Amino acid sequence: MAKQAIVQIKNLSKTIGNKKIIKNLNLDLHKGEITGFLGPNGAGKTTTIRMMVGLMRPTDGEVWIDGQSVQADFEGSIQKVGVIVENPEMYKYMSGYKNLLHFSRMHKGVSKERIDEVVKQIGMQNRINEKVSSYSLGMRQRLGLAQALLHDPKFLILDEPTNGLDPAGIREFRIYLQKIARENGVAIFVSSHLLSEIELLCDRIAIIQNGELIDIKDVNELQQSRYYIQAEPLELVGEVLTGAGFPTVLHANGYLIDSGAEHIPGAINLLVGAGARIFAVQPYRETLESQFLEMTGGGEIAQAHTK
Amino acid sequence: MTWIMVLLLVFVVFSGLGITKWLNSTANENLDENWQDLAQAEIENSTIMLAEPGLSETQIDYHEGQIAIAEHRLENDIPSLEYASMQQQVIDTHMLMSIVTLLAVVAAAGIVASEFSQGTIKMLLTRPVKRWKILTSKYITILLFAVLLTLTLLASTALAGLIFFGIGEGTPLVWNGSEVAETSFWLEALKLAALKFSSVWMISTFAFMLGTVFRSSSLAIGLSIFLMFTGIQAVFFLQNYEVVKYYLFTHTDLTQFYNGNILIPGITMSMSILVLTAYFLVFMVISYWTFGRRDVTS
Repeated sequence: MAKQAIVQIKNLSKTIGNKKIIKNLNLDLHKGEITGFLGPNGAGKTTTIRMMVGLMRPTDGEVWIDGQSVQADFEGSIQKVGVIVENPEMYKYMSGYKNLLHFSRMHKGVSKERIDEVVKQIGMQNRINEKVSSYSLGMRQRLGLAQALLHDPKFLILDEPTNGLDPAGIREFRIYLQKIARENGVAIFVSSHLLSEIELLCDRIAIIQNGELIDIKDVNELQQSRYYIQAEPLELVGEVLTGAGFPTVLHANGYLIDSGAEHIPGAINLLVGAGARIFAVQPYRETLESQFLEMTGGGEIAQAHTK
Repeated sequence: MTWIMVLLLVFVVFSGLGITKWLNSTANENLDENWQDLAQAEIENSTIMLAEPGLSETQIDYHEGQIAIAEHRLENDIPSLEYASMQQQVIDTHMLMSIVTLLAVVAAAGIVASEFSQGTIKMLLTRPVKRWKILTSKYITILLFAVLLTLTLLASTALAGLIFFGIGEGTPLVWNGSEVAETSFWLEALKLAALKFSSVWMISTFAFMLGTVFRSSSLAIGLSIFLMFTGIQAVFFLQNYEVVKYYLFTHTDLTQFYNGNILIPGITMSMSILVLTAYFLVFMVISYWTFGRRDVTS
């Protein structure tokens, strides 16, 4: 299946003072695909997102949304985008519904029925007429999602969307995003610090560091087939597995082998035949966190500048 | 918030007129001159003024008009409006317009700045609406609000005047340059309020610009109100220099051409309008330029 790029970021650069904050970023986001955006603090995530939605002006390069340039045709391109930038700030002295009504008026063709529908989807129908100042952070996040979805966007940009949601809320949120990506073909771009959350939510992950895109991976690719076999004696197990042609790595009380599922029964038979005592055979998954830290070289904050 | 401002305005008007009424009732009875004496005094006063050298055309025209009106009253036996009447209070409403300026400045300073301080600016600017359109809608809102305040001021003076003074005797007269004509007090009041509105407009636009540029409503309110009170004083410091003719506050109050209290001799209404337009354009260009180009990082 050829993937249709809804968003194209081309040679995006931002220089503030004489500091290059974003260096020549290129990235395509596809229809129906959820892309995670990861990077250490100060790597340029928020700056990139702000340039994508027209809050900041790129020094160089362009962002194309469904064939229209954000820089050249702001109104034409942005009407296809739903945005949450950091915390969704609403007018606190108005009710949630009034806020949505206010924002809906700035889009073409958002009906009152559509507002009610979105309110129902985010599960806020019982509190929507209360003032936003009485909402919890999680409820504000939901309202933030609602305002981003009002105009049925083709592309959704979310900056830290699960901040403040409870575990049930996060799960609901994830299922909902995956649903609109699959069913409506919405391209979704999510930046988050919650790596485990990104891993569960996204199809693809882009990693940025010091203003440069250092890696783009499919999540399935990250989870290449690996098995952990815990058995004794270790030397014997090592010999048998290497002898059978499996690439092996010593790990904890056993070995990690790179292998497809179909070869595992054979490997077990070999080990049993050689007289090894098997305690556990299980699929092994390296967490995104360890890969992320490996790629970005630990936790230091990129050389200081604005956030 | 805005309703509080409107209510505050009504409250100030009512208490102001109430106090005037009370002062009037306790004041000395023989201050109550008849209109013939007042007209006579007007003629004498303006004749003395006209004898002074170095009067500008606008001033000469004004005093000649005053004499013509007073003579017309005496000849045709048309009394002027009593001070303690609803009509005269409505005509004098323009003197209370600084309250409108004050309230309009507060709104103008905050309308853009508060979007930044609440963080809602990023929600607003990620809509498919260009920035200049958003700023324009904000600016129009401020102008409408200022007009609403002005109308509220007129209406509440009329109401308070009716309650405290009732409808009084007399007919307002105007000099149109060649002859004396009767006018309605409403028309007269609206004309004066509209001329005074130039000041409300300019100072609110200034506050709007500061709020947009500095994104801080307190700074914009403080600076605008400070200038509103000291700006006029500075005209007197500058009056001997040529630069005073290009100074904003020499021109903000257009009623000066209507009631003869011209701040600097030699300025004319059209010159003032020209200077005000130039300032207005500068304020607008600065507002739109900074708002349109700013990188939003809040």
